Amino acid sequence: MMNNYLYDGTADGLLSAIAWILEEEPDPEKVTIRERMDTLFEEGFTIGTDATQAESLFFRLKQYAPDAAHTLYSFMLAEKEGMETSLLHYVSLAFKHGDKVKGYLTHPAVRDIVNVSKKAGRELHRMKGLLRFEKLQDGAYLAKMEPDFNIIHPLAYHFSCRLRAQHWFLYDVKRRTAARWNNGSLQFGTIEQFTTPALSEDEKKVQALWQAFFKTIAIPDRKNPRLQKSNMPMKYWKYLVEKQGE
Amino acid sequence: MDILAKLQILSGAARYDASCASSGSKREAPSCGTGNTSSSGICHSWADDGRCISLLKILLSNDCIYDCAYCVNRSTNPVERASFTAREVIDLTLDFYRRNYIEGLFLSSAVMRSPDHTMERMVRVAEALRTEEQFGGYIHMKIIPGCSSELVRKAGLYADRISVNIELPSQASLQRLAPQKHKHAILEPMALIGREIATSLVERKASRRAPRFAPAGQSTQMIIGASPENDFQILRLSQGLYKKMNLKRVYYSAYVPVTADNRLPVLAAPPLLREHRLYQADWLLRFYGFSAEEILSDDAPHLDESFDPKTAWALRHPEFFPVEINRADYVTLLRVPGIGVLSARRIVAARRFSLITAEGLKKIGVVIKRAKYFITCSGRSFEKPDQPPALIRQRLLLGESSDAAVSALPKQLVLPGLFA
Repeated sequence: MMNNYLYDGTADGLLSAIAWILEEEPDPEKVTIRERMDTLFEEGFTIGTDATQAESLFFRLKQYAPDAAHTLYSFMLAEKEGMETSLLHYVSLAFKHGDKVKGYLTHPAVRDIVNVSKKAGRELHRMKGLLRFEKLQDGAYLAKMEPDFNIIHPLAYHFSCRLRAQHWFLYDVKRRTAARWNNGSLQFGTIEQFTTPALSEDEKKVQALWQAFFKTIAIPDRKNPRLQKSNMPMKYWKYLVEKQGE
Repeated sequence: MDILAKLQILSGAARYDASCASSGSKREAPSCGTGNTSSSGICHSWADDGRCISLLKILLSNDCIYDCAYCVNRSTNPVERASFTAREVIDLTLDFYRRNYIEGLFLSSAVMRSPDHTMERMVRVAEALRTEEQFGGYIHMKIIPGCSSELVRKAGLYADRISVNIELPSQASLQRLAPQKHKHAILEPMALIGREIATSLVERKASRRAPRFAPAGQSTQMIIGASPENDFQILRLSQGLYKKMNLKRVYYSAYVPVTADNRLPVLAAPPLLREHRLYQADWLLRFYGFSAEEILSDDAPHLDESFDPKTAWALRHPEFFPVEINRADYVTLLRVPGIGVLSARRIVAARRFSLITAEGLKKIGVVIKRAKYFITCSGRSFEKPDQPPALIRQRLLLGESSDAAVSALPKQLVLPGLFA
């Protein structure tokens, strides 16, 4: 008989539940876990949320299998529902096999987790290139985006290493979350009401230069819109300066 | 002339250079400056021809004293001429970089007055970006053949990657189409760059503070289809460059007719398929352990248009197959058509846990469309064993269903190199 466990639906709740199960269950691969819905006939034992436990699990994994911890991190960015049991099995296998676990693609749980984390990782990498900043009147820079996955944290970290001397904001329009970098410090928050600030005077001029460059750099005899779209899916065009008015 | 008009002229003139890599270099942003580099490289956009844009690719000037037949900037071609000032290039680079349009600058130039004069002006741009503006982003600089070795050395200190374009694959073709360019003026700086990179690597092992010289290495480019060299000659040249000069990349650029000249062939369309096959063969040289002599020979000096070069090799070598997925080593797996570096690695990693079944092979993401004729899984083959190569050839051409005609072959050409 399989043991069923429930958790509160938060990321911390999931990780602390996994930590608890790995500690208490002799064979975690025979156990399932899902979000508690509080319905009448729900069966299972609810594990309480403990942020310290969640954090400690992540750091223990990072020390033992850094690559697997990175996969776990990317998986969490995807905010996927209904894959909790797969994640439990993946983490359990990672503690058993170390970083080699990523090669265990014949195991369904490993395959599911690796695939989702890869998708999130791919979007993060893509966004590092496709994000566009606009210069505001006060000299700060603002970039808006609507990514599929919740990548604002690692993305902001990337730009904090890159555009260090600039004052800038990232804004996830869908999730209403924002990141701000100013004078060497990075902050995150949510935005209730967003009004687009005024752009700096030369902003439109620089954008026109970029649009002109974008147009002329393509070789006319090699036009290939299909390849362009497969590399740069249209869902990202909304905030691309070079794709405005298409 | 305003900056917009200049940008249009000087990016339009630079677009025939295929290289746009921004990888291979890792530099942290200066504390009060702008920009770092990422070792995997980052693409920022994709142009209408489907090629990635990661660098602001421009010429400093298109005002050329040379008269190379294949080149849009040749002195006798009646196009509008323009030159950037150093300040204009610097401002464009920084304005674009701060908005995350680009990963850095790709600076090339037509030959103004003399190679030294041109190279000096180019180096000055890179120097100002690095020292005055504290720019930490990626810089790719062309070396103008014939410039002094002192300038080559300086360029390597400021740039991440430097490259000298071979342009045409033989001295005879250079003579005919680019009479002012000489083989030795191209190969000498390449050899010098190779030596400087090697020295810098040794010095940096001894001291972390030793200066870096072109940390992302050197590359070159050849125009394909403007001159009569066959694929075997081209591939052997590339092989020599990788082995002897330690090049990171050789780019192949399908010749696009930009000027009418009776020394040039008349082509209905740029030879994109040939370019594609050359890239595939180039990949075999660099990542798959093949030699040019295995891929082509004097008797068969052209790459097969219907098959990728690895499949063509496999069809010529039935004695090598079938390969057993559960036992063959990595290098052998790489020889199977349809199994690339990624698939081979996955197979080797998955075997550690259990035997791989036919089903498992698909599950770990190996595409067996072509591979199935050449492999066994625990002794079991996917197809009837020992089919004659001629039959496999036909079935590969026609695909699975009998109604799929030859014309249904994938026409979509993907330029490799997006990640390298």
